[in-house]
Amino acid sequence: MIDNLVLGFSTAFTPENLLWCFIGVLLGTVIGLMPGLGSTTGVAILIPLTLTLEPVTALIMLAGIYYGAQYGGTITSVLISTPGEAASVVTTLDGYQMAKNGKAGSALAISAIGSFVAAIISLALLMWLAPPLADLALNFGPVQNLAIMILGLVIVVSFAGGSLSRGLMMAAAGLLISTVGVATGFSDARFTFGSINLLSGIPFIEVMIGLFAVGEVLHQIRRGADAPIRTRFRDMVISRGELKRSAGPILRGSGIGFVLGILPGAGSTLASFMAYGIEKRVSPRKAMFGKGAIEGVAAPESANNAAANANFVPTLALGIPGGGTTAVLLGAFTVYGLQPGPRLFETQPTLIWGLLVSFFIGNVMLLVLNLPLAPVFAQMLRIPYGYLYPIILLTSFVGAYSVSNNMFSVVLVLIFGVVGWVMKELDLPMAPLVLGLVLGPLFEKALVQTSAIGQGSFLVLLQSPISVGILLFAVLLMVGPKLAARFAVRRSPRGAAAVDPDAAEAREHARDEAGR
Amino acid sequence: MTAAQRGGIAASAVLAAVGVAALLGGLGYGVTVEGGEIGPGFLPAMAGGLVAVFAVLDLVGRLRRRSDRPTQAELILDTASRPEDGVVLGDPLDPGAPSTSTQSIHSPLLADDDADGVDILGRTQRQRNRMLAVVLGLVVATLVMVQVVGFLLAFVLLLFVVAVFVERRRVLPSALVALAAGAVTYAVFVALLSVPLPQGLLGLI
Repeated sequence: MIDNLVLGFSTAFTPENLLWCFIGVLLGTVIGLMPGLGSTTGVAILIPLTLTLEPVTALIMLAGIYYGAQYGGTITSVLISTPGEAASVVTTLDGYQMAKNGKAGSALAISAIGSFVAAIISLALLMWLAPPLADLALNFGPVQNLAIMILGLVIVVSFAGGSLSRGLMMAAAGLLISTVGVATGFSDARFTFGSINLLSGIPFIEVMIGLFAVGEVLHQIRRGADAPIRTRFRDMVISRGELKRSAGPILRGSGIGFVLGILPGAGSTLASFMAYGIEKRVSPRKAMFGKGAIEGVAAPESANNAAANANFVPTLALGIPGGGTTAVLLGAFTVYGLQPGPRLFETQPTLIWGLLVSFFIGNVMLLVLNLPLAPVFAQMLRIPYGYLYPIILLTSFVGAYSVSNNMFSVVLVLIFGVVGWVMKELDLPMAPLVLGLVLGPLFEKALVQTSAIGQGSFLVLLQSPISVGILLFAVLLMVGPKLAARFAVRRSPRGAAAVDPDAAEAREHARDEAGR
Repeated sequence: MTAAQRGGIAASAVLAAVGVAALLGGLGYGVTVEGGEIGPGFLPAMAGGLVAVFAVLDLVGRLRRRSDRPTQAELILDTASRPEDGVVLGDPLDPGAPSTSTQSIHSPLLADDDADGVDILGRTQRQRNRMLAVVLGLVVATLVMVQVVGFLLAFVLLLFVVAVFVERRRVLPSALVALAAGAVTYAVFVALLSVPLPQGLLGLI
């Protein structure tokens, strides 16, 4: 452990990696705070820029964007009640009320502090939990890996929200897209329709940029401009009493966030909602919730950061991403020629531990940046979307072109941009599609190997206790929520009709941003 | 039936057709090889079949106008906010049906179509739909223009045209933003990363 940490620090503390870590968290904050630009979009657009960097440096920067965006998303939630990130939706409830009461400074300060504490706690847990899990997974053969991948797809589908059949449909569509081109192990070109460009398959980066960046822009144009910026605030003062009141919520939020974040697919949005809900139950100041309770900001903000880090446990140890952004990051691994999965801990210790230690450095940078500078970042909100989205389009297309210096990439981005827009309008979940696309080649390899082991039969899946256990868990996840929902409805028949207006507004945002 | 519902039905139908086509294509590539092990057509056929099955299920669901299940997060927020809320607002449309209330809240498209939602810049939904079509058309035109004036110039032009004619921004600031974005792109991609952006027939930049 100590050796690994030393290795990590010596990797992360090179001037180059420190610089890119800083660039990552800075860009992440800005990307997180722009409504209409989420961390998934940000990472997707910026992958092409990192192609010339060392893989470890590139991943340090991309991961910095991811957790930096968790800080940035808060600023918009508090100041204009428009979450920049889906995980900050619930912060609008009390954060915006605090801002209206003239306590924007306290709200932003406590969320920066809470996020930092949560990040450090969850990082320690991540470093402690991921290696043994990877060790365990190393003993897995193709049969167990196949079961794990099925589990991963099921989990992402069941947590993506919306209907189960739509999620499964998109996961299958992702797998289908991944089969285009010549597969490893076979010599046949599939679904290329005579195009040379398609022989090597549909490239991952172009699909991501199309779905998340261009699709989002098209969606925003149709949705119309958001509410104007109303709040101004003076300084980042926070009283000792407020700090004291927030300690419990921060710790509880970190715990809830980590536990939920560790489940592949659950992600930080769910964690922040859950932390808010629980805090509202246990808080002695229940009545203040929704009217500007600092606990209602501290808990979800800690939870979403803890979950963002915890997401890396399954991503790194099993090769199954925790959410949309980690799915894109996992794709980035493959772009740099690294095969995601438990073997990384053995073959790439420098990369893994350098990356993990960089989280620590990045979060320190974010705390320093966010405590005094949040008002400065808030000025970015004055950029009109009318200028912003053409720039996003330009960046998307140039980035796609630069991956393979080919106009075909640009056309692909446009096609998948339209696909992404349609998916958003029709409420089709994106995360399952992305995971299907990333896992496709690995999934096919595991399928081939499993069928070879079973001489053409997949019954071997049911002969290994580990794979049976994993598959049973997958079935439980698919059926469980349905049963639970039925139970909940029976318990309180008026339940779903009871809607408090704030929650309804927040949900509308959540719904809108869920696809990111 | 609203545009959103028609769109959803059309999308499911298209996906079902794609799934069936992929299934047939996969069968053509060979699902198994000799010895009974799976061949190059197995995953395409399986994925295509699954897409088709779930698309048909979705299609049936949409035709029966079943509303969405609330997401996990919504369920939690609901349970969290319920007990201590003094006021319980029923669904104005149908107080007896719990499942429809969520739909009326979070289907932005339906809401937009019904209430002629005007955004803060005073643009109606119809105008924004037209903007979307115009922007898409402009992007396609830009990709064609790349062959003539080159990548960078075509996109700087796109920025300017979108800002001035679609977003009704003032001419001078728009020109400055477009030029600045072009300069930054040139600096990062051409000068720094030496990406050979297409120069088009003119071959200027």
